[in-house]
Amino acid sequence: MSEYKLFAGCVIPNRLPFLELASRKVFEKLGVQTSDAPFSCCPDPVGFQSTDKESWLALGARNLCIAEEEGKDIVSLCNGCTQTLKAVQYDIARASELEKQRISDILAKVNKEYKGSITVKHFVQVLIEDVGIDKIKSMIKKPIELKIACHTGCHYARPAEVMNWDDPEHPIYLRQLVEACGATPVDYEEEVLCCGAGAGNAKTEYGLGVLKRKLDSVISAGADCICVVCPACFTQFDTQQRALSKMVEKEYKIPVLYLTELMALGMGFTPKDLNLKYHGVKTKNIMEKIGL
Amino acid sequence: MSMDLEFRRIVLGKYMDSTLHYCLQCSRCNDVCPVNEVSDGAYNPRSVILNAFLGLKENLIGKPNNIAVWGCQICDTCNLTCPQDIELTDIFYIVKNLSVQAGEAPEYYVIQAKAILESGKAIPLQTAIERRRSQMGLPEVPTGFEDDVKIILKETELEEKLSKY
Ligand code: SF4
Ligand code: SF4
Repeated sequence: MSEYKLFAGCVIPNRLPFLELASRKVFEKLGVQTSDAPFSCCPDPVGFQSTDKESWLALGARNLCIAEEEGKDIVSLCNGCTQTLKAVQYDIARASELEKQRISDILAKVNKEYKGSITVKHFVQVLIEDVGIDKIKSMIKKPIELKIACHTGCHYARPAEVMNWDDPEHPIYLRQLVEACGATPVDYEEEVLCCGAGAGNAKTEYGLGVLKRKLDSVISAGADCICVVCPACFTQFDTQQRALSKMVEKEYKIPVLYLTELMALGMGFTPKDLNLKYHGVKTKNIMEKIGL
Repeated sequence: MSMDLEFRRIVLGKYMDSTLHYCLQCSRCNDVCPVNEVSDGAYNPRSVILNAFLGLKENLIGKPNNIAVWGCQICDTCNLTCPQDIELTDIFYIVKNLSVQAGEAPEYYVIQAKAILESGKAIPLQTAIERRRSQMGLPEVPTGFEDDVKIILKETELEEKLSKY
């Protein structure tokens, strides 16, 4: 397995470092080698692309150039970063000569040249393709016997022509990984529904409205917790349940685990090792349930 | 109501090299759009596409309420569903970029863009988190992108595009 450039993004290193911790521990156990690089903001495919597409494209292309210079592929910990970097590649490949020239002129100002020579992967893809389910299963010492609602999130496999990974309508790989940890993925109606983080950017109530529809479906399926693979979804579920409870006067408090946290627990790390205390929705009940 | 030819040219320019996909106004996009549902129809992707394809800029930009444009959370669900394979979100980006320059973006987007202008990251590092990282034994967050970001964003004139905020 060759070394990847780790694209940790802004949210994980700068707000949720415990998710980076779990990811680094899991990668190390599984032999996924990574190195850091001076990447800027990816930038955000929802926010910054909506603000100014050209700035978004140019900053994304610069990040890709950095990995290209080392001839290494990128592994990303975030749906948004993955989508931006893949969409920038997709857009540049289909741009007119004039647009291509414009991007290359901008990059020349910072002595960069875009080649389109590397592959960008979400970490789920690396776990499935480079490590494999069997190896992961063999590393699980402590089966996590919980019922889990898998939430892949919007920019994981949509738009299909850009992401070119998993099934956008019935994603399977997160379920397989959750199962490999000894957990049971539950079936629920709104599995591919957005977490609502994006809608909240324009109007708080819209974001909470989408969140409610999602959580009601998770709850009626009898899930113990939600498993996510994106820090934006993590933040929405982990911090906005309180606001939702206030808005609808009904308590919502379903714990959220990022996939590498779940895997690390299965590999024998403790909630303390992983700093689960920094979660907004407390994980104490589910940890007790599995004897941790 | 009048057609804005320049606006129409930009929107349809997306399709110059391929076949123009006509919008059937079938409303499948509205049916699957989660924001259309929670906003009781106040946000309506079908109508954004209609107005954009017809070049009716004044129905989208310069309105007292910006939800008609900014309600969309780019969840990419409509793209997947449209029977005409219209890449709706590509059109939404064009409309939103114009709305930004007209001074009509929601605060969230402006704050984020300014953070990127200033620090190169949408979510800059804080001292408290730096401390927490070192307690956890995590390496320092790599730096060395700041100057490049400033040079690039000067070239794309982001500050000018945000001049109304
Ligand atoms: S689903 Fe496609 S064709 Fe139908 S109204 Fe929406 S954009 Fe038009
Ligand atoms: S991308 Fe926007 S318009 Fe399309 S379904 Fe999602 S929120 Fe609705």
